[in-house]
Amino acid sequence: MEKFQLKMKVNGRTVTVAVEPGLRLLDVLRDVLHLTGTKEGCGEGECGACSVILDGELVDSCLVLAPQAHGKEVVTIEGISREGELDALQRAFLTAGAVQCGYCTPGMILAAKALLSRNPNPGRQEIARGISGNLCRCTGYAKIVKAVELAAAELQQKEGAAGV
Amino acid sequence: MKKRGYGIGSMWYGIGSTAATNPSGAFVDFLDDGTAIVMSGCADIGQGSTTVLAQIAAETLGVGLEDVVVITADTGMTPDSGPSSASRQTYISGNAVRLAAEKAREQVIAKAAEMLDLDPGEIRLRDGQVWYEEEPAGKTMIEVIAQCRGEGILTLGHGTFNPATTKLDPATGQGVPYATYAFATQIAEVEVDTETGIVEVKKIVAAHDVGAAVNPQNVEGQIEGGCSMGVGYALLEEVVVDGGEIKNPGLSSYLIPTALDMPEVFPMIVEAQEPSGPYGAKGVGEPALVPTAAAIANAVADALGIRLYDLPLTPERIVAAIKAAASSQHE
Ligand code: FES
Ligand code: FES
Repeated sequence: MEKFQLKMKVNGRTVTVAVEPGLRLLDVLRDVLHLTGTKEGCGEGECGACSVILDGELVDSCLVLAPQAHGKEVVTIEGISREGELDALQRAFLTAGAVQCGYCTPGMILAAKALLSRNPNPGRQEIARGISGNLCRCTGYAKIVKAVELAAAELQQKEGAAGV
Repeated sequence: MKKRGYGIGSMWYGIGSTAATNPSGAFVDFLDDGTAIVMSGCADIGQGSTTVLAQIAAETLGVGLEDVVVITADTGMTPDSGPSSASRQTYISGNAVRLAAEKAREQVIAKAAEMLDLDPGEIRLRDGQVWYEEEPAGKTMIEVIAQCRGEGILTLGHGTFNPATTKLDPATGQGVPYATYAFATQIAEVEVDTETGIVEVKKIVAAHDVGAAVNPQNVEGQIEGGCSMGVGYALLEEVVVDGGEIKNPGLSSYLIPTALDMPEVFPMIVEAQEPSGPYGAKGVGEPALVPTAAAIANAVADALGIRLYDLPLTPERIVAAIKAAASSQHE
């Protein structure tokens, strides 16, 4: 089959790769670009392990065909730390002990990131809703919700300080 | 109508494989810079055993947690520690690491006693220093280890632990299947919608005797995670098999709890020191999920005055049970 010239921005960098048009965005990220932080759980849009942010929206990358990402901007878990400094959410997950096996973690953090960019000060129920498309078998979600609260509080405080 | 109910579930659970030998081995090596390497076959599958083993080694060796490197679950280099199952790794591999670290510590203490001309029985290692009778004795562990190395003495310890169990008598079933047990009680509060049959778990309080919590945050994480599996077991999860074929082999048909299905869980850590455990610890892995479904089912019975005997407590089953109870009352 003829290859598709996929051009997209991944974590701030423009990449151009020739791929089979039937390839999923998940496969491009993991197998072509070797960004293996994004996980495959179910492969059918049910678990959220493959979550990435596509043009600002949280998507299951197992349900996105590579050509659908053409011309768009993708953020994966590898793209949210800056110059080796972890994102506030990543730090909060560590502090709260919100990671066990870690398989859901990249997707969870991106789901939380998408939530906080829409709603910087979410309540518990809003956090639970925001991550409800992401399954976790290990933690019971308690410490994940706590981590999102911690990160939100930190970002709010920074925002407040910057506003002064 | 929404009806509230409260239920209790209690359990005991054996730590380690049942009535079987299930040993674990570990190596601990002090390096020249005063840091240590722990080698254990224990596989950390997210429960945090690597952290727990590092803590046990650090405590025993008298060094900081950041000075311990743990190499795990590599059959090319680590000793066999048995599986990460049976809620056994903190208790069994934790003991193996403690014993290995004690052997490594012995070498350092013996040399320190010789260098300082002190009674080895009174020497402790703490914060990278040699201590004598609650005071630093004026030598660092690095100096003592360097002296050992210079004399060709390796500061390496090896430990194994196999819980004291016996086979069970085939005729009577009697014996000692486990060396120690974990105990727990959970209380669930539920709200049952009598029209729809939907059960909402409002709150779970989960009290677990873990012997000693080596890492309380990990223990809480295990309890919270266990409760979520218990909520799934009580309300959602059922493998439907028809003629040997699994009918719901995906996450769209086999539902597990999402963040929206989970109530607030209040873990309570009960520390009743286990004398045979490393620093008093037992295990918490599986126990965290054992009493949850029972507590929820009891809470549903309390709310409805009807007892259901099949899990999961699906809306269909609840509505059917309410109808059956109502019609048997009319007769
Ligand atoms: S792998 Fe994409 S949702 Fe599960
Ligand atoms: S940490 Fe294991 S699935 Fe979430």
